[in-house]
Amino acid sequence: MASRGLVTRASRMKTKLQSALEAAAIEIEDVSYQHAGHAAMRDSGGATETHFNVKVVSDKFDGQNLVKRHRMVYDLLSDELNSGLHALSIVAKTPKEAGVSKT
Amino acid sequence: MATTFTFTSPSQKPPSFLPTSSRTTPFLQSYSLPRQIPKIPSIFIKPNNRKISRSRQLSISVSALSKLSETESVTVPSDSELIPGIFPSSTGVYAVYDASNDLQFVGISRNVAASVVTHKKTVPDLCSSVKVGVVADPDRTALTQAWKTWMEEHIAATGKVPPGNETGNTTWVRQPPKRKADLRLTPGRHVQLTVPLEELIDKLVKENKVVAFIKGTRTAPLCGFSQQVVGILETVGVDYESVDVLDEEYNNGLRESLKGYSNWPTFPQVFVDGELIGGCDILTAMYEKGELANMLKK
Repeated sequence: MASRGLVTRASRMKTKLQSALEAAAIEIEDVSYQHAGHAAMRDSGGATETHFNVKVVSDKFDGQNLVKRHRMVYDLLSDELNSGLHALSIVAKTPKEAGVSKT
Repeated sequence: MATTFTFTSPSQKPPSFLPTSSRTTPFLQSYSLPRQIPKIPSIFIKPNNRKISRSRQLSISVSALSKLSETESVTVPSDSELIPGIFPSSTGVYAVYDASNDLQFVGISRNVAASVVTHKKTVPDLCSSVKVGVVADPDRTALTQAWKTWMEEHIAATGKVPPGNETGNTTWVRQPPKRKADLRLTPGRHVQLTVPLEELIDKLVKENKVVAFIKGTRTAPLCGFSQQVVGILETVGVDYESVDVLDEEYNNGLRESLKGYSNWPTFPQVFVDGELIGGCDILTAMYEKGELANMLKK
């Protein structure tokens, strides 16, 4: 399933985001199956691991607007975006916004 | 008691066809419109001629509808949030009066309260009180008939058509926004560009208030996120431009150029006043918080 080695894209993404953002919480869900039929995906010959829902809670988002937060996530995942990752649905919150009491 | 057999008498059914002649003139005579009325604008006459094909239904008429003069006038509160509590959200006709109690407009609505809210927002000065006639069996014909009944009563009494119902008056009836064409960045893939695509993008997003780069067209988005973006922009009712990043003929190379231009790796992308505001997630979040409407008002 994994396009490279034995590690899934989701776990690689998780590792990258975790270490760079010192995230308080990360959830990554592979939702590629929901997009398997759409135009761009049909052309890519049934690629897997293309669409993910990403939820990240990190202090580093503090003071950043949504565009900047999403860019931070995209930048960390640029290798993945260049190797078949097609789209992310991103929820990027600070611990305060997420209502996480432990910091 | 299963002894009663009921047969439907064919003679009670309406004829399944109508002679052509009756399609053109059927119910004018059933109509006691005073003929001395001066010029009746065409907007008033036209529904007559067009709605006639189902003349059977005209007999349904609107017996439940009170006369305009006998309908209670309800003051429109200045706080439009109170309107839905005061006016029915049902289907019917409504007549809008200004502060001097002059009839301004008679309209038909599938949701009278919502229409009143819209009018109060767009033309607050003309929208002082409203009379509502709920139409119980609101098919198109019954509604049109109800509208005509009130219009005729008013015309008979005053000799005038309400200003808002005059031909060409668009104060009350917003023309449905015509679906714009999607913008194309280039004249075609075989035409050599004299400027880099990035410059064309830059010009496009700076010259237009709202630009959505989407996959597919605005009428037929090809990706769920693009569809959602189009849906939100349509709901907010903003005038926006759309560009199909999958159009390889007229927007060839746009996907890669745009990713570089905006430093954003995915589509759709929405720009407001030349700035990227984000993709589907951000637009949705802003829409849900009401921030989008505020941003677009400016």
